[in-house]
Amino acid sequence: MVPAPRPPRERDFTSTLRGPEVAARVGVWLGVCFTVAFLTGVWSHLYQNQPAWLTIPTRPVWLYRVTQGLHYLSGTAAVPLLLVKLYAVYPKLFADVPWRRMRDLTVHLLERASVALLVAAGIFQLATGVANSAQFYPWSFSFRATHYAVAWVAFGALVLHVAVKLPVIRSALTRPLDDGERPGTGLTRRGLVRVALGASAVAVVTVAGGTVPWLRRLSVFETHDGTGPQDVPINKSARRADVVGAALSPTYALEVVHGGTTRRVTLLELQRMPQHTARLPIACVEGWSAAGDWTGVRLRDLLDLVGAPAGSDVRVVSLQPHGPFRYSQVRGNLVQDPLTLVALRLNGSALSIDHGYPCRLIAPDRPGVLQTKWLGRIEVT
Amino acid sequence: MRTLRLTLGAAGVVLVLVGVYHLLARGLTNLVATAVWLAGGVVAHDAVLAPLVVLLGVALLPRLPSWSRGPAVAGFVVLLTVTLTAVPVLGRFGAKPDDPWLLPRPYGALWLGLALLVVAVVVAAALLRRHRSGQGAS
Repeated sequence: MVPAPRPPRERDFTSTLRGPEVAARVGVWLGVCFTVAFLTGVWSHLYQNQPAWLTIPTRPVWLYRVTQGLHYLSGTAAVPLLLVKLYAVYPKLFADVPWRRMRDLTVHLLERASVALLVAAGIFQLATGVANSAQFYPWSFSFRATHYAVAWVAFGALVLHVAVKLPVIRSALTRPLDDGERPGTGLTRRGLVRVALGASAVAVVTVAGGTVPWLRRLSVFETHDGTGPQDVPINKSARRADVVGAALSPTYALEVVHGGTTRRVTLLELQRMPQHTARLPIACVEGWSAAGDWTGVRLRDLLDLVGAPAGSDVRVVSLQPHGPFRYSQVRGNLVQDPLTLVALRLNGSALSIDHGYPCRLIAPDRPGVLQTKWLGRIEVT
Repeated sequence: MRTLRLTLGAAGVVLVLVGVYHLLARGLTNLVATAVWLAGGVVAHDAVLAPLVVLLGVALLPRLPSWSRGPAVAGFVVLLTVTLTAVPVLGRFGAKPDDPWLLPRPYGALWLGLALLVVAVVVAAALLRRHRSGQGAS
């Protein structure tokens, strides 16, 4: 007679690969990835929000490029690790619930809740992050704010999980990984840990070229391959920003405003001011980055035209009629920086319209979304 | 050990609460949309992906010759996990007609190339194992 079907129990899972030995070892690497992603993510958030108490450094010029690249790559590396980790602990989902004793039940349910929170937030962060890197948004929540909020939940749940599991982790890490097991699946525990790390490395290499150019030939799944107008990729075209008409207007002039003083600077006047060239990266929050040779007028030279005091904060406003990044704040230390330019040229030719013609902001160590394009107005605040 | 665990636990709870605060600050509509995705990820793994892996392990793995099982499992893990990280580019869901420089590659063909490479490595490793085990038996 066939026994009646019943839900699986923890002891039904017989593979020697499942268990704390693999979970703890893969978990250490997963913890490293989540920690790097959390710290670089909070860092990026500070760069974008520019809170008053924080002076963001302007050197090295590539600092944000590196931290955001790390964010993208540590998140990608975490995907195979998380899946193998979940494989190792999956039987725990079917563990017996101690219904009889109130105290045991409370502890058991609290532990399950903390793990559920970690798994939900962990999968959420990786899924939304990976989709965002390919500019795919199949949801209705605000990506940036929600990815940031859930990051705290995921990292907090991870710290809580380590606290709960510390004795299990210590015991698993001090035991030998292979204890004379006869693997039915053909893979040893050591083999599975190595495969998890290998898969993680492969996942990183398949996307890393978008931000580490010498890996480009291996990065089959990168979202940007280094091509773009004037050999630098873009994230938003002039057409999509609804800015073509305003940018090509024959009466275009850049307004520079300080208090009651407004100077209208035409493109010809901009071109006749002292020009400077700087090699600076565009480092996109979505993960890709690329360096270019930008030529234009120093922002502080423009502010001298309206007599703005040195070190003033400014707001640069785009010609684009809408969008959350229509304007951005430039703090005093960055305004004074000799590498902060209102760029007119890129890689030896006039700025293309998709890169922000007639002129755009380009500054050292700054997220790409804040390198405002199609500048219409510069206001001292 | 006890003090360390208590400190870590308390820090974890505080960090979670910071996240919850930020989530609540975005309003109810945002929270509901987020909750759907939070729960959806768990369901997709626990109720779809993990049972499928169990099923493959029970139904397919025992049918493979023992010398090929290790390499086959390794290849499966690499290909499955890397493919999952590539879903958004494979589907080209975020492609925009005005930005030909976004998602510029023939990702389907490249995925096929990667899959063939993984299969080739798996077959080579499996044959090597069979050769070695044959030598051990003779």
